[in-house]
Amino acid sequence: MKRFVLAMMMALLAGPMAAFAQSQEPLHITITDGVIEPLPFAMAGFLPESPDAAQMAQQISKVISDDLTGTGLFREIPKSAYVQKIDTFDTPVNYSDWQAINAQALVVGSVGMSGGKLVVKFRLFDVFSGQQMGDGQQLAASPASWRRLAHKVSDVIYSRITGEGPYFDSRVVFVSESGPKNDRQKRLAVMDYDGANVSYLTDASTIVLAPRFSRDGNKVLYTTFETGFPRIKMLDVATASARLLPDVPGTMTFAPRFSPDGSKIVYSLEQNGNTDLWLMDVASGETQRLTTSPSIETSPSFSPDGKQIVFESDRSGTQQLYIMSASGGDATRISFGDGRYSTPVWSPRGDMIAFTKQNAGRFHIGVMRTDGSEERLLTSSFLDEGPTWSPNGRVIMFTRESPGAQGEAALYSVDISGRNLKKVPTPGPASDPAWSPLLP
Amino acid sequence: MNRPEKIGFYASGALHLAVIVLAITGTEWLRPTPQTPEVISQVAVMSEQDFNAMMASAPKDAPQPTPDPKAPIAPTPPNESAPPETPAPEAQAQPEPKPDALADPAAQADAKPDVSNIQEPPAQADVSDTPPVMAPPVEVPSDTVSPEISPQPKPKQVPRVAPTPAPEPPPDAQVSETAKPAETPKPEATPQPVPDKPKQAEAPPEATSEIATEANKTDTPETSAPQASPRPASKPNPPAPGPGGTGSAPTGPPITAGEKDALIVDVKRCWNVGALSSDALRTTVTLSVQMQPDGHPIISSIKLVGSSGGSGSAVDQAFEAGKRAIVRCGADGFPLPPEKYARWKTIEIDFNPDKMRMK
Repeated sequence: MKRFVLAMMMALLAGPMAAFAQSQEPLHITITDGVIEPLPFAMAGFLPESPDAAQMAQQISKVISDDLTGTGLFREIPKSAYVQKIDTFDTPVNYSDWQAINAQALVVGSVGMSGGKLVVKFRLFDVFSGQQMGDGQQLAASPASWRRLAHKVSDVIYSRITGEGPYFDSRVVFVSESGPKNDRQKRLAVMDYDGANVSYLTDASTIVLAPRFSRDGNKVLYTTFETGFPRIKMLDVATASARLLPDVPGTMTFAPRFSPDGSKIVYSLEQNGNTDLWLMDVASGETQRLTTSPSIETSPSFSPDGKQIVFESDRSGTQQLYIMSASGGDATRISFGDGRYSTPVWSPRGDMIAFTKQNAGRFHIGVMRTDGSEERLLTSSFLDEGPTWSPNGRVIMFTRESPGAQGEAALYSVDISGRNLKKVPTPGPASDPAWSPLLP
Repeated sequence: MNRPEKIGFYASGALHLAVIVLAITGTEWLRPTPQTPEVISQVAVMSEQDFNAMMASAPKDAPQPTPDPKAPIAPTPPNESAPPETPAPEAQAQPEPKPDALADPAAQADAKPDVSNIQEPPAQADVSDTPPVMAPPVEVPSDTVSPEISPQPKPKQVPRVAPTPAPEPPPDAQVSETAKPAETPKPEATPQPVPDKPKQAEAPPEATSEIATEANKTDTPETSAPQASPRPASKPNPPAPGPGGTGSAPTGPPITAGEKDALIVDVKRCWNVGALSSDALRTTVTLSVQMQPDGHPIISSIKLVGSSGGSGSAVDQAFEAGKRAIVRCGADGFPLPPEKYARWKTIEIDFNPDKMRMK
């Protein structure tokens, strides 16, 4: 009986209690749509600590600003809009003044000379949280390296805000072109990622193709026609000296790429009309055949862990992408879309593969996951090809060639989101870019 | 089952059913109805001579009593104002012509509900605004009339001539408690704010002109006050529970889909995923934020309550992006219905960038 009465009472109370509980529950909403726009930031300037650092401070400020805004992820707020005037590096930040102009990040820095070295100090503030992001940093280098110093600062700011790895302090090796299309001269050149500091590694006496950096950035593999046939050469960046890699007479070798540890080279070897993938030990010169298909296998690229290789093959009738073990064996096809896929490159982060796709008379640069899912085409033009990843796996640089007799090749970069497509400044026509790892 | 068993079964069932009904309905109906208290009139015995003497002097008093048709029923003059329903109490009231002292407590009983209604909504007012809030009670005097309706008598106090209000008697305080239930603030606080003086000041002319009458009224009002307590004429300011949320805000009807959509639209316009890392774009985070009644978020209350799909740093990035969205667009206040504050006092927001990643 007691139980019954108790049950009745509980039943009577259940309703109101449920209603009460419901009123206490938080309101729950889900946001799946947002906006994609550059994050506004303010750079209160890199203040010169001495008169002789004034010009350097200005130049460094500009490089940092260009680095950040060049990503397409940031927008610098004009200085004319600033409410608070920061006179010294240690001036306390009045967050409300920066919130008023909708700055979400604030950079305060200074440039000085100490012991013949250039010293850059900076702090980054999260305006809306009202706190400093990480510790302030100080970097020192010779005045000649002021651009690298600026890139380093940019990298820190970029990484702290976005959570991505850095990539500004890196270089790009590419093929610099000159002359008419029917008599194009090509030579290797290297530059900062932003097109500055261009220097040439080879002369224009022979045609060179497809340069690739080693993982430490000290060496470059490329294909040369100096013997009349494609051969692979390895070049020391510091000395610009190069040597031909051993090969088998009567064969052609091309499309080389270093393994992540730099101890091996995977490349294509054409013999008797058949092209397969081979692996070479850099130290000993020993080779190993990885594929034995009668089809054409080329453009190999190691996964970051060095355990797998992605490559293109027409074994199915059209060019498609395949993945196999780094020691050879069965390969798994990962591309199944319309058109032809080529020049696959494994992302430094290991999660994506960039490729060139030709379909319906157009060329595209695209990315897909390593299992072939989530394929996305980032560009579309008359001719886009040869993607290369930035060190952080966020940006892709590639060659775009314009049509017509006057058409010429140029380097472009695009965010893997497909946004921020832009031309990379080069002294002249350029092709076959290869991004270096982050400089030490 | 044979016949005796059936009979036993049905009998048992009927008895059980009766017990259940009894348990549900209670035993109130079994109790004898309370009898109305016996009316006892005090009668004085006098001799014939005294009676004649009194009659002889009667003409002097006649002018007033005679016009009253009830005179024979209630020979005692002070009872004129007593409610007719309860003659007995009135009889008791006769010897105790109560002064304003009781009238005021009665007024208090009426005033308390009013005060509570005023004080309830603004929880913040409990702290500092209480004194000023007490001004409204001045308007309550009209409620003092309500005692007339009150049927129940109360033991009378010794008559007092002094018209000044007497200090709140304990019994009144008790009565007031019964009338308080609606009050959210401390019960002790309410009695204080009900000073007698203001009532006196407000007291309608009838009350002040006849002290004795008012005293009589006070007898009855004590218990009647709660029953007849009217609500305040004017409503207090809109509910303004403090940032901490006292829970006194009205719950209101549920948030409609349209209101939810409006909030979503307002938040998403500030959710900028442009600078998020690839990992962060694969990370869904759930943020919790406490809201102020005016629709502004309490920035310090924003916290991460859940995440999925990303590493630690990616979660941090996604959280910061979500937080920025709340802070930026919440700066102008979110479009939420104030009357449903209790429904959105706490908001949980899932930021799911799946669609944005593919854009």
